[in-house]
Amino acid sequence: MSSTTLPAVYIPKPRRISGFRRWTEREDVFSWLMIIPPVLFLLLLVGYPFVYGIWLSLEDRPVAHAGKFVGLANFIADFHDPVFWQVVQNTFVYTFFATVLKMVGGLGLALVMNQDFRFKNTIRAMMLLPFIVPTVLSTIAWMWLLDPAFAPVNWFLRWSGIANPGPSWLGNPRLAMMSLIIVNVWRGLPFYGITLMAGLQTISPELYEAATIDGASTWDRFVYVTLPLLKPVIFIVTMFSVIFTFADFQLVYVLTRGGPANATHLFATYAFDVAMGGGQLGMGASIALAMLPPLALIIIAMSLYMKPHKS
Amino acid sequence: MANIIRAASRRDVLSITAISAMGGLLGAARAHAAPKSMTLMHESSFIPPYDAYMKTTLAQAYEKATGIKINYDTVSVGSLQTRVTTAAETGSGPDLTCVAFNWPYLFDEKLVDVSDIAEEIGKKGGGWHENIKEAVIVNGKWKAVPFGNIGQLMNYRIDWFNEVGVKDFPETWDELLEAGIKLKKNDHPFGFELGHGFGDNHGWLYPLLWSFGGREVDTDGKTVAIDSAETARAIDFCRNFYEKTMFEDVLGWTDVSNNKAFLAEQISCTNNAESILFVAKKDFPDIGKVTGQAQNPKGPTGQRFHILNPWSHSVFTYAQDVKAAKDFLVWLMDPKQVAGWYDVAVSYYAPFLNMFDQSPMWTAEPRNLPYRDSLATSHLPGWPAPISRPQSESVAKYVVVDMFAKACAGKSTKEVIADAKAQLTQIFKPA
Repeated sequence: MSSTTLPAVYIPKPRRISGFRRWTEREDVFSWLMIIPPVLFLLLLVGYPFVYGIWLSLEDRPVAHAGKFVGLANFIADFHDPVFWQVVQNTFVYTFFATVLKMVGGLGLALVMNQDFRFKNTIRAMMLLPFIVPTVLSTIAWMWLLDPAFAPVNWFLRWSGIANPGPSWLGNPRLAMMSLIIVNVWRGLPFYGITLMAGLQTISPELYEAATIDGASTWDRFVYVTLPLLKPVIFIVTMFSVIFTFADFQLVYVLTRGGPANATHLFATYAFDVAMGGGQLGMGASIALAMLPPLALIIIAMSLYMKPHKS
Repeated sequence: MANIIRAASRRDVLSITAISAMGGLLGAARAHAAPKSMTLMHESSFIPPYDAYMKTTLAQAYEKATGIKINYDTVSVGSLQTRVTTAAETGSGPDLTCVAFNWPYLFDEKLVDVSDIAEEIGKKGGGWHENIKEAVIVNGKWKAVPFGNIGQLMNYRIDWFNEVGVKDFPETWDELLEAGIKLKKNDHPFGFELGHGFGDNHGWLYPLLWSFGGREVDTDGKTVAIDSAETARAIDFCRNFYEKTMFEDVLGWTDVSNNKAFLAEQISCTNNAESILFVAKKDFPDIGKVTGQAQNPKGPTGQRFHILNPWSHSVFTYAQDVKAAKDFLVWLMDPKQVAGWYDVAVSYYAPFLNMFDQSPMWTAEPRNLPYRDSLATSHLPGWPAPISRPQSESVAKYVVVDMFAKACAGKSTKEVIADAKAQLTQIFKPA
């Protein structure tokens, strides 16, 4: 047995990296580890209810009673229900006008707020108020604002002799829908405003300078610089807004509960009434699910139309 | 091999016997041990002292007597059905709950049969009013112990009615229309809810339909009967009544609107529970002095009707101790306890036990007497058909309310009946 003498130098002990640790530090594994929690979260809290909802919609499922599989019978019943078609129409009208008004108004708000002025930050913070206040609370305030006897608008109309007793904001079917759209726009505008303002701030001032040197007017700069660069942000905000507006519930539930005579019933409120009030969980689920295909189509159409063109 | 198996099974049999004997003992012990607490779920009352009385006086008295703590869990107005649904569907939540309308039928399978105690309580209390049985007896079994009816009656301004020469509240719809025309001219219109509330719309529209001889579905609970000359006459009357005595806003009203309008002195008559008078006496004493209450008017059939709006108590099948829950209900419905609870709400909940018909609570505020007298002519929506699931769907879809509302908003009688008929035919289609 031969022996070699080693120089007495300090050899640092190699850091012990366990096989497991090495495995988790591999990029492909690590990225999966990061993704799994949210995926599980989504599966449990979104996926499960969604699949359960689909299952319910295919059943004749009275509340507190075993269900019976009926295939598409609930959807066929919906298609023969005149109120269902009114709900479809209401939801489209509500979503279209509310979204367009929020988009235009929000863009205007963002352009104004993006300027330099005194108390800029305070005013920007205040702008968020309608968005921060719980919807049910602010909607109750609107209930008073729209009340024919106590509303400031009607009081002014009466006082100035323009109209007596003044319009019935929630009693007239058309005005009721209009009122709901106004309240929705009021509530949703800050979301548009703030997000679009954030988008505006990412646009480099040099582009505006260059455009100005090339002789572009204010309008030209807006159309050829601001709008194209803001397009991706507008798309995202509009998509969110369409989804939220399409599935709106609280506002209608507090103000009109779908009245007068279903003039303001939306998918969510009608589905709720049928499922909870009527105790028909299967039919309620089918009404709620019926909003999925049109919503998906709108989103696909929007993404095709607004997709930024790669040059 | 066979021996081993036999040996094993012998051993198993022994141990299983021992375990089950122990389990049986434990189970028996548990069955005898009263639960520490039970939860009773209720919708918040429009009469605040009512909830306070249960929380402080009754719950404490019960805990003192039995050692069982009663948690009185109140949910906001309008959300009780959602909560009952959640409890019934998930099999967890309160042990006892307040139920309304036809819920004993809707939640039938998840509610304990309380026939024994309901009959016992009835016997002690001089018998139950007949009508309440249509709301709580499901397939021959009591699924709830009736508590009280929140009647929906006529609330009117005595002073303004007097001004147009109407001393007593009109006996018929036609006379009420006549008074309303004069009152609207005096700038005191009527205000009856025609929107999508929970109760004040059904509260007068079903009785109106019935008193004209109309009905949604026949007594068989299947044949749609809405398309009739009687319904048409009721609709024509309603349109006329709306146009000549009311204003457009009522079409969008929910349940709070008429209370607000009455107390703001905007309207001279509406259909509501006792809450208007209760609040007026407390917060608007001048209005309280001149507020009258009366039964609904009679229709061309010579009959008057009211909506049955009962609150009852049920025990969930999943309750940790069904017997203890039933014992609590027996204790609660004993006149010693329940009389105080009725009293504190000043007859807002009209008792269904005959022994309370002459109770002092009715003389405390004689203007509430019509609420007692209306019990005999009160029925659930959908009457005379028996309670059913399709009936709930019809109410949730506001078929009858919207039939009248659309007519008032300008649609023809023929059209609105056709719409309602189409909806009802679909809702009541044979399964």
